[in-house]
Amino acid sequence: MNAPEHILVAENVSKRFEGRVALDNASLKVRRGSITGVIGPNGSGKSTLFNIIAGTLTPNGGRVLIEGEDVTGASPADICRRGVGRTFQISRLFAEMTVMENLVAVAHGIDDRTAVQRAMELLEFLEITAIADKWGSELSYGQRKLVEIARALMLKPVIMLLDEPFAGINPRLQNRIVEHLKSLCARGLTVFFIDHEMRIVLAECDQVYVLAEGSVIASGPPALVRDDPRVLDAYF
Amino acid sequence: MMKPIALAVVLGLAALAVPYFGTEYALSFTMQLLVFMILAYSWNLIGGYTGYTHFGQVCFFGLGGYVGALLIQNAGMRWYFAVPVAALAGAALALPLGTAMLRLKGPYFAIGMFGLTRVLESLVLGFDSVTKGGTGLYLVPLDNLRPVYYALVGLAIVMIVGTWRLDNSRLGLKLLAIREDEQAADSLGVRTTRLKIGTFVVSAIAPAAVGALNAVYLGFIDPPTAFSPVMELTTIAIVLLGGMGTVLGPLVGAIVLSVVNELLWARFPEYYLAIVGTLLLLAVLYMPRGIVNLGMKRGWLPAGRSLFRQLAREGGRGRPPVAAPLVPDEAKRAEA
Repeated sequence: MNAPEHILVAENVSKRFEGRVALDNASLKVRRGSITGVIGPNGSGKSTLFNIIAGTLTPNGGRVLIEGEDVTGASPADICRRGVGRTFQISRLFAEMTVMENLVAVAHGIDDRTAVQRAMELLEFLEITAIADKWGSELSYGQRKLVEIARALMLKPVIMLLDEPFAGINPRLQNRIVEHLKSLCARGLTVFFIDHEMRIVLAECDQVYVLAEGSVIASGPPALVRDDPRVLDAYF
Repeated sequence: MMKPIALAVVLGLAALAVPYFGTEYALSFTMQLLVFMILAYSWNLIGGYTGYTHFGQVCFFGLGGYVGALLIQNAGMRWYFAVPVAALAGAALALPLGTAMLRLKGPYFAIGMFGLTRVLESLVLGFDSVTKGGTGLYLVPLDNLRPVYYALVGLAIVMIVGTWRLDNSRLGLKLLAIREDEQAADSLGVRTTRLKIGTFVVSAIAPAAVGALNAVYLGFIDPPTAFSPVMELTTIAIVLLGGMGTVLGPLVGAIVLSVVNELLWARFPEYYLAIVGTLLLLAVLYMPRGIVNLGMKRGWLPAGRSLFRQLAREGGRGRPPVAAPLVPDEAKRAEA
């Protein structure tokens, strides 16, 4: 059986929190090897959708498919082991561990030496070898973002879920992260992220989904989405 | 690296020599020290590494004590057979207990375990046809207590070496990851539930064995001493004072606290508890991460978890790559 064209599919996903509708029949498809972004104003349901895909929330309706297999309601650890790496909106590095330990701790299925080797390579790739022995709690905000990306890459994921990777960091670092993500994409990794950062979403994504009040109001290539009156209405 | 090994050898030899050259007092002091050390090392696994602190370690100590004492008295079993059975009983209780209790977090787990210990104590008191209730069980005293002492020394060494191995393993890092952020660890594929229940079960084995050894040594066991809250709190104080989640913490904590206790007890019998309490308070205020963590930070002690730093250094010295790099081109570019 060939691998499905869409590595990640969300179908009619709904989520209510105590009666309030956070997501209302939201659907999206992420093509293999693409950079796909979700944008939307605060409270539009981006984080809810993200957390449902990552397994930290269970939807009230609809389903999530990864590599064509239904993973709705699977635990975060199971979803991760299907090749989904993730980062967090607010840094969740292990504070009392060094950067190297943060990476090595999540490795599985390989021996210690290989794990350390892979961690070193990832730190080199992201150009942060210098902070390998620093404690998680010592790092700057931008460094944390990079280490979180490195940590997710330790698992050799097929798709990366990035929760607001560009929020609160300077444009230079934003560009650096974009370059890294693009070169990973060129090697077959799929990148899926949510963010407020319109500039990057519209410039770098192959496909954009726009959420407003829990529904997908527009989707398609950035050029199309940019001029969609519904998007302009929701945003401006 | 040589210094800690030399120190360990000296300490080990000293412990082995006590029954031959030490006074009766030195022997009973070392016995107590070993009992607390083993309890502290066990508690350090679940409380220090995995971050699930709790007030129920003596639950396993007491259970082991009673299982051992009853097997010796009622089944005529030799102590050296009864102690391993007691250890297994500790693990057998910890498995269902951990599965149920480790759904709780923070203070709920900590206090829940305290409550369970009280339940077990009440059961032992209640089933007095078997346990002799509050009167306690008397065992036929052993002629020679040295083997019991050496069993304790052996168990303490196993705990120290085991903790050292854990500290230098990925398993240890995964446990620390659970302590630092369980949800994040889970999202990154760490099998958190399995690991914490496993650690909890392992952390119950040695206390149950020590409970049985202690009962054999004293020739007596009753509920207040078997499930003693003071023993529980002393164990936790030892780990806090020495350093949670470190290899040497429980050892240093046990030695410091026992020595301070003995010195003060002999000189100020009326006030010694108040003084010990004040000292602990000061220690927690000014060294919240314990003596060993402070020592590692100041460079007096070698940093923990050295294996991974060592592997990274070896990797950095131009070793041929072991695995295909994830992103070969970038790795080469960075090297160039």
